[in-house]
Amino acid sequence: MTDATQSDTAFRPKPSLPPPANTVGVVGWMRKNLFGGPVDTVLTLLGVYLLYVILDFVVDYGIVNAIWTADSYRECLDINKGEGACWAGIGVWFNSMMYGRYPDEEQWRINFGGIVLLLWLIPFWLPKVSGKIQVGISAVLTFPFLAASLFIGGDIGIFLHAMTAIALTLFVSVWLNVATCYLMGKSLPAVLISVTGFADKDDRLHKYVLLGAFGVGFVLALLYHLSWDLVEVPTTIWGGLFLTLVISGIGISSALPSGILLALGRRSKMPVIRVFCTAFIELFRSVPLITILFMAVTMMPLFLPVEFNPPKLAMVIVAVCIFAAAYMAETVRGGLQAVNKGQYEAAQAMGLNFWKMMALIVMPQALKLMIPNIVGSFMGLMKDTTLVSIIGLYDILLMGKAAGQNPTWLGFHTEPLLFTATIFFVLCFAMSKYSQHLERTIGGGYGRR
Amino acid sequence: MAVVDKAGPRKGGRSFTEIVNDERYRSVFYQVIVAVAVIWAANYLITNTAENLQARGMSAGFEFLTSTAGFSIAWSIIDYEPGDTYFDVYLVGIANTLIISFFAIIATTLLGFVVGVMRLSKNFIICNLASGYVEVMRNVPLLLHILFWFTLSAALPRPKNSLGLGDMFFLNNRGLYVPAPIPGEGFGVVVIMVLIGIAAAFGVTVWATRRQMATGQRFPAFWVGVGLVVGLPLLAFAALGAPLTFDYPSLKGFNFTGGADVPRAFCALLFALVLYHTVYMAEAVRAGILSVSHGQTEASYSLGLKPSWTLRLVVIPQAMRAVVPPMISNWMNVVKNSSLAVAIGYPDLVAVFMQTSLNQSGHAIEIVGMVMLFYMTVSLTISAALNYYNKLVQIKER
Repeated sequence: MTDATQSDTAFRPKPSLPPPANTVGVVGWMRKNLFGGPVDTVLTLLGVYLLYVILDFVVDYGIVNAIWTADSYRECLDINKGEGACWAGIGVWFNSMMYGRYPDEEQWRINFGGIVLLLWLIPFWLPKVSGKIQVGISAVLTFPFLAASLFIGGDIGIFLHAMTAIALTLFVSVWLNVATCYLMGKSLPAVLISVTGFADKDDRLHKYVLLGAFGVGFVLALLYHLSWDLVEVPTTIWGGLFLTLVISGIGISSALPSGILLALGRRSKMPVIRVFCTAFIELFRSVPLITILFMAVTMMPLFLPVEFNPPKLAMVIVAVCIFAAAYMAETVRGGLQAVNKGQYEAAQAMGLNFWKMMALIVMPQALKLMIPNIVGSFMGLMKDTTLVSIIGLYDILLMGKAAGQNPTWLGFHTEPLLFTATIFFVLCFAMSKYSQHLERTIGGGYGRR
Repeated sequence: MAVVDKAGPRKGGRSFTEIVNDERYRSVFYQVIVAVAVIWAANYLITNTAENLQARGMSAGFEFLTSTAGFSIAWSIIDYEPGDTYFDVYLVGIANTLIISFFAIIATTLLGFVVGVMRLSKNFIICNLASGYVEVMRNVPLLLHILFWFTLSAALPRPKNSLGLGDMFFLNNRGLYVPAPIPGEGFGVVVIMVLIGIAAAFGVTVWATRRQMATGQRFPAFWVGVGLVVGLPLLAFAALGAPLTFDYPSLKGFNFTGGADVPRAFCALLFALVLYHTVYMAEAVRAGILSVSHGQTEASYSLGLKPSWTLRLVVIPQAMRAVVPPMISNWMNVVKNSSLAVAIGYPDLVAVFMQTSLNQSGHAIEIVGMVMLFYMTVSLTISAALNYYNKLVQIKER
């Protein structure tokens, strides 16, 4: 009896009803995200209308009414009455907007330099390769010399020859390292030491082996490089996207090291150093880049010895580097402040000196925290490089403007701007997406708890 | 004796390594090196400059500021004639820079709030429209935006077929024409009333806060303040018989006369600056609102505060703490970036002083110094204000 009562009264839930039809699926999603209430509905309709207007215009202007082949801007206008883009002109001016007035038959040098840089950086994304930091440092420190001797050409002097030879040696060893890592599972130095039979010898001898191998490579590279015979291309005829990338590339690669030094100087306990660093940072951060550029081209010739007359490009690059360093210093300082004080104290308690504490404990954390900001300032620098067009360097923007002043293409202004905007959009968007990826994978901070 | 020798400070007996490794000596040593290096560099630059100036037969000094500039400026907010001095040019440049920055900052701040809130909207279309706008704007250089809008504005209709709004505003390929206000007799009283209204509103706010602290009773200080600031001048305006008339622009022949004209470059620059900087403002607003945890809202509801009070007294004050610093540095960037006006010929400080005046007079060092001084003054003032604000609102840790 009791048994029966118990089983009768036991709670037996009925299977739950399916959710109301209008809260799931497409309809549910739309009710929730598009038509949540009267205000929401009005906003959605307005938004859709706006989107329609924009898309309609873009399609009409960029595709339907666009002209893809023409010989002059006049021809384009005759066909579409200016109601569509004249992409034909971009085809005609493409080469100029990429390379400026760099001679056609020498443009392979730029492409070659770009490919070398890409190849140099590829090991970063190969998971098995060891010594990624060394790869990065070697590229940042020596690639500019290789690029300079490649892009400028002509009689480059013994210093540039030597630096280029070092760059070539390092480049080859980076890829030999990749090969040994993948084929033998060991890094290049380890392979070198075991091949020469010094594996069981004193550690101090290992250094000599590596230096010797590097010396052999260096001599070979120097001999090879001395046989290069490139025509000189003066920097005055450099231009286009190539010039933009040269300036922003040098600015970006110099910004981080100099920014770190300035930031450390600003946080230093030594008053003299702190005052100088603070003054430098505050001065160059509080004025617009264009004034620094004007300063570079008007004042720098006055600062240098009378007989010295540097090319405009060099002065502009110095200005951009100063500007970038000042901004990066503040970003790095933000990172340093965000690192817990206990980390500094722990490092000191372990007996690390200042530079070891910074290099091994503090900087890795500070830089990781600041990845979005660092990439943000790289992006900002790249966008700001367009200002060099104001002081008359033929970067991609001024080259596009020059297109519209050519007699055959008179009035061809909007399309080069749109084309340039697209290029910048792609480059910067890729950078910001990559920074988000980095933040997820190696970034510190709150995301990883 | 031996014990004293070991424990007491040794005189003159310190080894070289001991001195080198002592942190105090080391830091002095480094500082001396840096100071000497900087002084040497400065000396080197100054000697070179002196030599260069001598070689070019130029003189340094600010005397040129009092000589006649002799060129005309396309548009200026303060009076200027070609016969005025270089110093007047400097002032005109500063005024033109400040006026465009002023309008750009106001528009950027308002629009930034709207876009920032739009990005947080639960509405799929609105949120993504705002995101798309943000991505497109911030991944393209500002200079490109400026040139783009300037190029487009050249395609506006001629004065004859201007786009008009009523009979007051006209937009054509020369610029924007707006009615010019002409203050009549007694308009000064209205201005004074505005100032009195602001002071009174401030006083009421202080009083209301004190009373609330003492008694817990709230007083609608905000609305009373608005009433005072708007109402007092309106009353005075009406009492004095509306002492303000407008001079409307009108088409005479091929161009407009009367009213106030704003050049095309100004419009394009303002448009581009606002579109570009709104993005950064919007991101600041979004981050600020997201930074207030939902627990704050819930806690406030459970204390019995109604939603509007929760927003005003709990959420917004905390969000502002995160919004204001980036907002103000964005304002600073607007002022700095207005210098790109030089690319489209809007006569701002860089264009009239650093370009035209420098080319004409050749006093590079003085002119660059003066321009930098202006921008530094602006940005140091703003950052001083920002530091003060940060100190005011920072979380008081106990």
